[in-house]
Amino acid sequence: MLRQIKPRNARSKRAVDKKAPKAIENPKTALILRGTTCSQITQDALTDLYQLRIPLAKKFTKKNDIHPFEDPSSLEFFSEKNDASILLFGSTSKKRPHAITGIRTFGHKILDMIELYLDPTTFRTLAQFKNKKCAVGLKPLIVFSGTPFEGPVSNEYTLAKSFFTDFFKGEPSDKIDVEGLQYIISISARDSVDGEEGKPKIHLRVYLVKTKRSGGKLPRVEVEEMGPRMDFRVGRVKEADESMMKEALKRAKSSAERPKKNVSTDIMGDKLGRIHIGKQDLKELQTRKMKGLKRSRDIQESEDELEIDVMSDAEEAPIKAKKVKKA
Amino acid sequence: MMAETAPKKIDVTVHKPTPYTFDLGLLLASDPNPLLLSTPENIEDDLAATARDGAQALLNQLLETCPIQSTPAGVLLSLPGIETRLPREKPMPPPKAQTTWQKFAAKKGIRAKTSEEKKNLRYNEDTGEWEKKWGYKGGNKREESAWIVEVDEKKERERKEGTSVQGDGRRDRKEKVRRNERMQRANERKGRKNHGIGKET
Repeated sequence: MLRQIKPRNARSKRAVDKKAPKAIENPKTALILRGTTCSQITQDALTDLYQLRIPLAKKFTKKNDIHPFEDPSSLEFFSEKNDASILLFGSTSKKRPHAITGIRTFGHKILDMIELYLDPTTFRTLAQFKNKKCAVGLKPLIVFSGTPFEGPVSNEYTLAKSFFTDFFKGEPSDKIDVEGLQYIISISARDSVDGEEGKPKIHLRVYLVKTKRSGGKLPRVEVEEMGPRMDFRVGRVKEADESMMKEALKRAKSSAERPKKNVSTDIMGDKLGRIHIGKQDLKELQTRKMKGLKRSRDIQESEDELEIDVMSDAEEAPIKAKKVKKA
Repeated sequence: MMAETAPKKIDVTVHKPTPYTFDLGLLLASDPNPLLLSTPENIEDDLAATARDGAQALLNQLLETCPIQSTPAGVLLSLPGIETRLPREKPMPPPKAQTTWQKFAAKKGIRAKTSEEKKNLRYNEDTGEWEKKWGYKGGNKREESAWIVEVDEKKERERKEGTSVQGDGRRDRKEKVRRNERMQRANERKGRKNHGIGKET
């Protein structure tokens, strides 16, 4: 726990305010760290992931003696110190070769962790693909393919999906330039096949999106691999605490969410309202007037006695009322 | 090349047994279909094909459903809100503490004036006309401009010297204003740190 700083001037107050919890949050910063042993391959992979996330990322190069699944307290410290809520930690050991641990924090406490083992044979860095790269800081298109990501119960793959979505989503924006849709991150996993060892791999591929005229309104899309190319095996997982996750999924109430009911504007810009007027009483409906259908006749013919009763009642009532007043 | 020789349309639709689900706010598409991989050697081509289909479907969806706006800066797509529930970074900020006034007003049931109440105009039932509440020809001066006033002898005996019944209404009104200002200053003083003790000069 860092000491609480009380701002003594405007500049430090701005800095403190920037870190303070907000209803609508800042985009998450990713912090990229390495352990005491970290293979060159893992380091390259971390660098490439860093490249894809610039400018919302920080990369540290010093060795850290951290074992995320054993003692995550230093990760929490790093998260708080750097105001970063996504951490990537690379390490290598004999038992866990080329491991990249993705960690998310909530309120600078560990929320969930997923360990991914990079396949060194299929790994290709960003630089190994000799082509034009996309501009820095663009929002990527993200595609998840494969049944494992769609499971209704949370498992390693849904966690990976959530983590990668969080990692690659970039800065939130309500408007986006069509020219900016330059690259796609495709994350796919095969179904698990019976009789095969291990869980299916997660394939992470990054492609440049090329559009061609198709003759219609929509363009034809072609892809060209940009790199990096990574295949992961899923390792250890720490799922989020249920109550913590519930707290973390809270959203700010926004006034825009609930539009005014029954009020609309037409193309001319006129305001239109729809109002509710109860049910129409069809008994009072005026139909065609004919002598034969007169209501008075109806009553006279069939309910002579009843009408007389009603009449007499009506006459008596005001007299009674008068009597009461007098008394 | 085909387009040059004959205006033949290239297929831009993507057919999948189960349709994609989209979260356009994140530019995200999910393909729930099983991944089709033929042989281990061909894996890269297969993955590229799935990615292409996904990109095509996502772009189609974006261009078809999002409002497009052409500006000098470029063609802008308006994205809808994010539907996927992603965890926050920090807890929601606690609700702001009520000010002393808000607490007092809630206790007393004081509400903010409506725009109608704030207007300096009021309907006078007696005359059937709209009149100002205050200011020039304001309704609060009606008593003062009465041309004939009943004199209360008891009060007249206790009257301060140099005053007469004529200026009473105006004096009362002015005193009310001054009292209000006094209260306002006192409240401000109370609201300050240390209740204004020591800092007041």
